[in-house]
Amino acid sequence: MNIVRRLHRSARLGSDLVSGFKLKCGLELHTQLKTDFKLFSLSKTSFNEPPNSSISYFDVGLPGTMPKLNPEALRLALRLAVSLDSDINLNSSFDRKHYFYPDQPLGYQITQHYSPIATGGFLKLDSRYDGIESTKKDIRIEQIQLEQDTGKTNYVKFDGEVRIDYNRANIPLIELVTKPDFETIGEVVAFIKKYQTLVKYLDVCTGDLETGAIRVDVNVSVNGGNRVEIKNLGSTSEVAEALGYEYRRQIECLKENVSILQETRSWDGKSTTALRSKEDALDYRYVPDSELPVIRLHSDIKKQVQESLPQLPDAVVEKLIASPFNIELKHAQFLVNNKHVLSYYYNLIESIKDIDVKRANNWLFHEVFGAFSKNNLAFDPDKISPSSLARLLHLIFIEKSITSASAKILLGHLVTAPNSMEIEQAMEQYDLGKPTGVSESDIDEIVDEICTEIIAANPDVIKRIKDGKHKSINYLIGQAMKETEGKVSSDIFAARFKALIGT
Amino acid sequence: MRALLRSRYRVPISLRRYSNQLTKDNHNAFISKRKEETNSSGSLAGLKAAVKDNFVTTKEPTTSGSEMLRTYVSPFDATTVSLIEASGAKVVGKTNMDEFGMGSSNTNSAFGSVVNPMFPENHISGGSSGGSAAAVALREADFALGTDTGGSVRLPASYCGVYGFKPTYGRISRWGVIAYAQSLDTVGIFARDLDTVRSVFDVLDVADSKDPTCFDASIRHQISHQKNLQSSKVIGVPEEFVVAEMTEEAKDAWNLALCALVDEGYEIRYISIPTIKKLLLAYYTIATAEAASNLSRYEGIRYGYSISSEETASMTPFDIVSKNRSTAFGSEVQRRIILGNYTLSSDSGNHYLRATHVRKNLVAEFNKVFSMPNVLFDNEVYNRDGCCALLCPTAVSPAPSLAEYTQETNENFLNAYINDILTVPASLAGLPSISIPYYSRQGIQIMGQFGDDETVLKVAKTLSLNCTYN
Repeated sequence: MNIVRRLHRSARLGSDLVSGFKLKCGLELHTQLKTDFKLFSLSKTSFNEPPNSSISYFDVGLPGTMPKLNPEALRLALRLAVSLDSDINLNSSFDRKHYFYPDQPLGYQITQHYSPIATGGFLKLDSRYDGIESTKKDIRIEQIQLEQDTGKTNYVKFDGEVRIDYNRANIPLIELVTKPDFETIGEVVAFIKKYQTLVKYLDVCTGDLETGAIRVDVNVSVNGGNRVEIKNLGSTSEVAEALGYEYRRQIECLKENVSILQETRSWDGKSTTALRSKEDALDYRYVPDSELPVIRLHSDIKKQVQESLPQLPDAVVEKLIASPFNIELKHAQFLVNNKHVLSYYYNLIESIKDIDVKRANNWLFHEVFGAFSKNNLAFDPDKISPSSLARLLHLIFIEKSITSASAKILLGHLVTAPNSMEIEQAMEQYDLGKPTGVSESDIDEIVDEICTEIIAANPDVIKRIKDGKHKSINYLIGQAMKETEGKVSSDIFAARFKALIGT
Repeated sequence: MRALLRSRYRVPISLRRYSNQLTKDNHNAFISKRKEETNSSGSLAGLKAAVKDNFVTTKEPTTSGSEMLRTYVSPFDATTVSLIEASGAKVVGKTNMDEFGMGSSNTNSAFGSVVNPMFPENHISGGSSGGSAAAVALREADFALGTDTGGSVRLPASYCGVYGFKPTYGRISRWGVIAYAQSLDTVGIFARDLDTVRSVFDVLDVADSKDPTCFDASIRHQISHQKNLQSSKVIGVPEEFVVAEMTEEAKDAWNLALCALVDEGYEIRYISIPTIKKLLLAYYTIATAEAASNLSRYEGIRYGYSISSEETASMTPFDIVSKNRSTAFGSEVQRRIILGNYTLSSDSGNHYLRATHVRKNLVAEFNKVFSMPNVLFDNEVYNRDGCCALLCPTAVSPAPSLAEYTQETNENFLNAYINDILTVPASLAGLPSISIPYYSRQGIQIMGQFGDDETVLKVAKTLSLNCTYN
């Protein structure tokens, strides 16, 4: 973890660059679309299913089958394209890209080579949000195309078997190609993260790099030399490491006057190795797919899609870090990356009425999330609804019928409770409300009693306090709070201890 | 290696044992025959149907005339097969064909050549739907389904003395039809009389959402609306069809047919479609390029022919694919795949694109000649005084003997392609076209505007009443 963090930091500072060696980089991202059905058939796009259980006749290339475009995939591609301000092609079409491989059932992939769905557009990187070196940087988009995914070939080492699973075959993909606009590794990492956030936020893709929902190819050259492609990188750290390695490798080549070949390389976790040179490159024999009709779109389509889009992540972050929300940047980015928590947050703010937003932020981001993570749980809005949390804040800060300390304990109970509970019900069940029906003098008496007991039981602490280590009094207060489960304010105990010890 | 590839993750396609035995009758028209008898009702009740072996069916293997698919049984039926069965027709068997539809003689089949029933000695049946034509001529079936890519229904119909109708591209669903060149492949109908052709066409001429190239309801509506615009009684005779190779018999039939139509009140007009001269090159460019692409799926891993598992044990997946394909595909199929891959390769330039341009020019020229607008073109100017149909022989001659044909083909394999000049124009433009047995061994072809199948069948009806054969 530390290594990754250090790597990111160094990437951000651009310290990975060697002066005199200019890095130039472009990306190709393959993004699995979150559709119910496959791109050209009616089989489900289910993941983690038994091998070859979610396939239709077309997916496995049976004779006599034909493709039929799933409009849902088209809709998702358009959402992404419009959010990147790309130009929508009103007459796009499909082509066949030929190559033989056991997991490619048709002997070709249906893609958009000659007339893709969208071209142009850009993703803005900003030093304020994306941790890049320069203040602002636009990464221009070359094109966006719809295409099919392939099956999966699994080489089983222990018995030498080659197993092919066609569940993934014909799942819709978007291939997005950027212009070679990247000049630092930090920019590449920032772009991928931002792109990931965007596709997740737009419900275009799950956004998981780990499961292969986004796969990255990197094109890299140094000082305008030959371009090397690194294929199939599965995480941002892998991209950063592979790119860093390849950049340094090319620099070494240049220093030693070894020519850099235009080739495709792969990353094995430690180094990049040559897969095939330009001469060995496959001839894909592209041809228009005359079976699939041209996708004709209305000239108004960009506007229509625009209107259906939510506010985009950057704008939301900007809104959240400004008044009245004033959320810390990292929390705002967390919310944008977790849309269900974002809507939770909006509901909470709407319900808190006269409580300071800052207090609500603090309680949500530190206490509530803290309570979940302490118990190794993911945040679950069902355990404490926005209105319940608002109610709790009201009890703490307006009605003052529960202390902050008791409220924190209560959160711990709520998070681990099997069922959701009303706040007041929980306060009663766990006996965490401030004592009611007890007179001031009774409380005084109990406080006095507890403090005296604690002092008697901790002579060494008392000695230290008397020797001038005033902070040790906090230990005594902690003991008292524990004893009373936070039902009495810590200030009262502090004052009483001071009086009794005589400091 | 292959056994490993297939072992556990095998696609669940049941290659179930079929009860119907592969058969060899005298003329070798069938690859497999069905035995069961069923009673049926519907508009085709009582009719026996033969189906070309590139329509997938669940009751027997669908071989496409290839070693590659000798044992392949489809898990689903072609839409057309389901339609005729639902209308009461009884499928008697699957017919022989040139491998994957590639050929015009039906001599390129893994199951042997089809022998033409019209001749006492061994003559070719024409292809690629030769088995279907022969089955109908032999009265083994009342009608047969075939596919026509560049003449594969019309030519064997002409050679075997039966009707062979290739409707407009898009009229009949291709779902379940094994693709050869998908922008040209059209389902066609053989029968011994025009009324049967008509009844079968009425059953098949329906929308099918499974085939994206099949007309939807709105185009069908548009066509039926346009029908009323057809008032021309002009028959066009394209001068480009007068080719040196044409025999006296073919010319005679042509003249006689034209005279018969004049007697019926039609006007005959010489016309010119200059692009026809450039068509063979464009046709073979498009057909082979699409074939190379379509046949890429046959590699013997998921289904189909594969070399033995002992052989594959030490081979890479690529070697297995390559060995399977070079063993199981016949020489004509391999020739066309190589041609097609050359066309598509980046070294060849843009042959496919240029062929597509030739095709567009052809359509534009046809649109100027016909009196009806082409339903695919909005606001296209059309020639009200144009032709309602065009007429020419289906073939340059009656069927040659197998010996003649083999000798000529051995001298130059391009000889086999010459006949295509008469049938390929309608294929490239997607036009409806029918071959009628005007002489017993020489068919006459009638072509109409895209979508105007009605006029083609109407002119055919008029002419059929004058057939010297019937």
